[in-house]
Amino acid sequence: MLILITCLLLFLTAAGLLVLRVVQPNARYTWLVASGGAALAFISMFFWLPQNPSALTLPSWRPLSLFPTPILFAINGVSWALALSISALTLAILLTAVTRSVVSNSLSWAGILALSGVGILAVTANNPLTLLLIWAFIDITELVIQLSSVDGEKNNEQVVVSFSTRVLGMLFILWAFIQNFSGSGVFSFETMPSGAGIYLVMAAGLRLGILPLHLPYGAGSSLRRRFGTGLRLIGAISTLGMLGHATITPSEFTPFLLFFVSAAGLYGGWMWLRAPDELTARPYWLIGMAALAVTSALNENPVGAAAWGSAMLLTGGALFLSSVRNIRLSRAMLIGVWSLSAFPFSLTGSAWAGGFHFTTPFMLIVQALLMAGMTRHTLRNNGNETLEDQPGWAKVAYPAGITTLLVVQIILGFVGWEGALQTQSWLQAIIAAILTAGLVWGSRRLRIFNPVRAHWVSAASGSVNNIYQWLWSMYRGLARLSLTVTNAFEGEGGMMWSLLFLILFISFVMQGN
Amino acid sequence: MSAPILWIVLPFLTGGLILVLFGEKYSSYAGGMLSAILALTAVFIPIDTALLIGSISLKISPAVEVFGRSFQLNTTDAPLLAMIYGVSALWFFGAEASGKTLRFAPLGLIIVSLLTASIAVEPFLYAALFLAMATMLAVPMLVPLYQKPGRGTVRFIIYQIFAMPFILFSGWMLAGVEANPGNLASTLQAGLMLSMGFAFLFGIFPLYHWIPKLMEETSPYAASFLLWAFPTFTIIFALGFLDRYTWLRNTPQISNVILSSGIIMTATAGFFGAFQRHLGRTLAYAAIAETGLLLAAISLRSVDFLSIVFLILISRGVELSTWALAISVIKQKAYLLKFSDVQGLARKYPVATGALIFAHLSTTGFPLLGGFPPRLALWQELSSASPIAMLWIFLGMAGILISAIRSLATLVMADEDAKWEWNETWAQTAMLVIGTFGLILLGILPQVLQPFLRGLPALFEHLAQ
Repeated sequence: MLILITCLLLFLTAAGLLVLRVVQPNARYTWLVASGGAALAFISMFFWLPQNPSALTLPSWRPLSLFPTPILFAINGVSWALALSISALTLAILLTAVTRSVVSNSLSWAGILALSGVGILAVTANNPLTLLLIWAFIDITELVIQLSSVDGEKNNEQVVVSFSTRVLGMLFILWAFIQNFSGSGVFSFETMPSGAGIYLVMAAGLRLGILPLHLPYGAGSSLRRRFGTGLRLIGAISTLGMLGHATITPSEFTPFLLFFVSAAGLYGGWMWLRAPDELTARPYWLIGMAALAVTSALNENPVGAAAWGSAMLLTGGALFLSSVRNIRLSRAMLIGVWSLSAFPFSLTGSAWAGGFHFTTPFMLIVQALLMAGMTRHTLRNNGNETLEDQPGWAKVAYPAGITTLLVVQIILGFVGWEGALQTQSWLQAIIAAILTAGLVWGSRRLRIFNPVRAHWVSAASGSVNNIYQWLWSMYRGLARLSLTVTNAFEGEGGMMWSLLFLILFISFVMQGN
Repeated sequence: MSAPILWIVLPFLTGGLILVLFGEKYSSYAGGMLSAILALTAVFIPIDTALLIGSISLKISPAVEVFGRSFQLNTTDAPLLAMIYGVSALWFFGAEASGKTLRFAPLGLIIVSLLTASIAVEPFLYAALFLAMATMLAVPMLVPLYQKPGRGTVRFIIYQIFAMPFILFSGWMLAGVEANPGNLASTLQAGLMLSMGFAFLFGIFPLYHWIPKLMEETSPYAASFLLWAFPTFTIIFALGFLDRYTWLRNTPQISNVILSSGIIMTATAGFFGAFQRHLGRTLAYAAIAETGLLLAAISLRSVDFLSIVFLILISRGVELSTWALAISVIKQKAYLLKFSDVQGLARKYPVATGALIFAHLSTTGFPLLGGFPPRLALWQELSSASPIAMLWIFLGMAGILISAIRSLATLVMADEDAKWEWNETWAQTAMLVIGTFGLILLGILPQVLQPFLRGLPALFEHLAQ
């Protein structure tokens, strides 16, 4: 029930903003309404704790014999941490939006509140059916928003490609779901059969752009700082949340998946470190962090996956939302580097609890690249907004937004959730810290670490491009075959061909009998 | 008043009157209103039960005799009638918004009444005759006066009419099989005849290639209406056969053949649909794939297979009507409907594009939309009956999904300087929004159909057991 209360607070606030936009478009208190709703939702998250664990089951579809799987949401340690991260990010987005005009932004504030509500539903979804419905909603919403905000053939095409890869990810979840019908039938992520886990990883990989490596969002998209950050990060966490619920049993495909994920992580980390600014680097941040989360999941460490997901949202959110030049705030944001360090009592303290694997050295490099990049982007914050002409309360609200994200990182690091407080992976944390120090030192002195222009994956990696080219040529070959067959059947002699095939089909069936 | 007069003769005569008396615009409203009233009547007024309204006693009798043949619509038919006329109302109201639809509402009303007669007539084999009559009446709807019919239209007539002798012969032979069930040769012959008849009626692979051609060369709205109406009644007709003949029901080979046909239809339609470059043809292949799903559903021998069949039929009605209307709106700007012509039109027709994509995604079983619950239920049943069939149907749906994504990409790929416009009329917008919301409602809350679904299986007393 508490899940619904939090989500309703967000949805009702969003609806209130829409009504205000129509009734009083210039109302000065619109921002207050939006921030108030987000703050209440954030506070309501702490009321989940006494009821942890608990579940919310919505009325089943009818007839029951056809739809035995209910729509199920669950509160547990992992879902609480992720939901808290989402609500903190939403609050931060709205608090840092104090510098923007009400008229032009109330719609996007309503959007971010609604998206946050759906995001919370996604991370609490406790079976594939529920997750499919929530993902479908998020994907369609994101498609509409993206299409309405980009111009030009190429950008629109990129949006559709991004949508189609996420839908492909959904197909994997759907397949995992329907494959299980012949088994136990009703299930939650916890009771999922071992064979289905690999489909979940494939689904997450596709949706996050790491399997195969691709950029689900263009680095040049016009959705930049606040709404764009919310859209990308909440979209990503709604996918990673699933990996925090399920234990993926290793299979014969696991080493291959780990290899590809590591490659994607290295690429994402490298591009993140070298990107000219944090917003251009945002897609690479998502790829790098998602690779770390998927690796944890593949190493049977779902708590680690949730930790990386939470860190992606909180540390990334603080950096991407920071648009005002403020040295103190920039230094405080280095807490994000601590959160990524995997040291005990940090947010990612449980990240390496899965133990060593052949990809662990590579993933430690990925972690170091991301930490070094975080350090570099934080210290070189070139925000172009100012609070000088804002009233006093606005000067407080803005840093409060960023601080919220930093405080939640620390709280989650100390309080954590079940299984999050780990102290045995200090060795990996030290290695990553040393590598990070080296990279930060090197990035100031070596040319190779200097920022490069942002470019697409296709331009950067020839081998990946070759795979896409091969798939495309296969598609064209099949299209030619399809055209030949349809031309034959629809042409002058089509009826004869049809009857011939029918006779062959009947003969085949009769032979079978 | 008898039920056949109310749901067959009245719409037939009204259709004729509308054709003669009304203009295009008002005929759509009249047809839609009458269909809506007939649907509501089926919901609220029970057949064969006396209703006291003040001092007046009202009773709709279930049967009427014509030339020694009986037409019966019983209490159990009421949910079906409500479904048929409810979806028909959606089609007829949409006809006005769709623009150029030649004599659509009056002829559509007559066709629906004839098809309703096909489920009411006893002996039920006469249904084949009504189906053939409806086919012939569809021609003036598809082809304007003084215009030569295209290849798709000609094949539509040929294949549908071809079915009639096979069905009639099989009916005659089935009576013999019932009398002498041990005679394998006659059983096989009867089964073959019946299969041929239904293969033509359903347009089983490779007999469905007239459908994309028809969508290409005629009004997409009228053609889509036929793609909804004919398979719907053919399915009910086929279920009637299965219900009446025990050996048909209990022969596993028959189930296997139906399942194989359904799989082949869905998989091949998915394959061909994925490579189409014409909006009308993509609809055609999606409709074919959905007919394949219906066949796969009727091949199941589970308790709930009838519920799955009717779930598919209802969502199909909403999908096709919304999709066809959206295509008709776009056709006003891009007559040929080829991808090269419709590129970037999402910015000029955002509501039509949205409705088109929603309807298309629904046919693929996209979660949150009306097509998802029935497909989920079908996959669940198939997972235990035939996992291979489940896989092929999944792949077929994936093919239709590819065509949806290609259509979407084409429609949204506008030039850099293209601005968002809103060129749909209020009527078009309203109908498209209603259709889209209908799909979302069916996708989120399929239990809204439960009152219908509960009653529909009773139509087939043996199959429902």
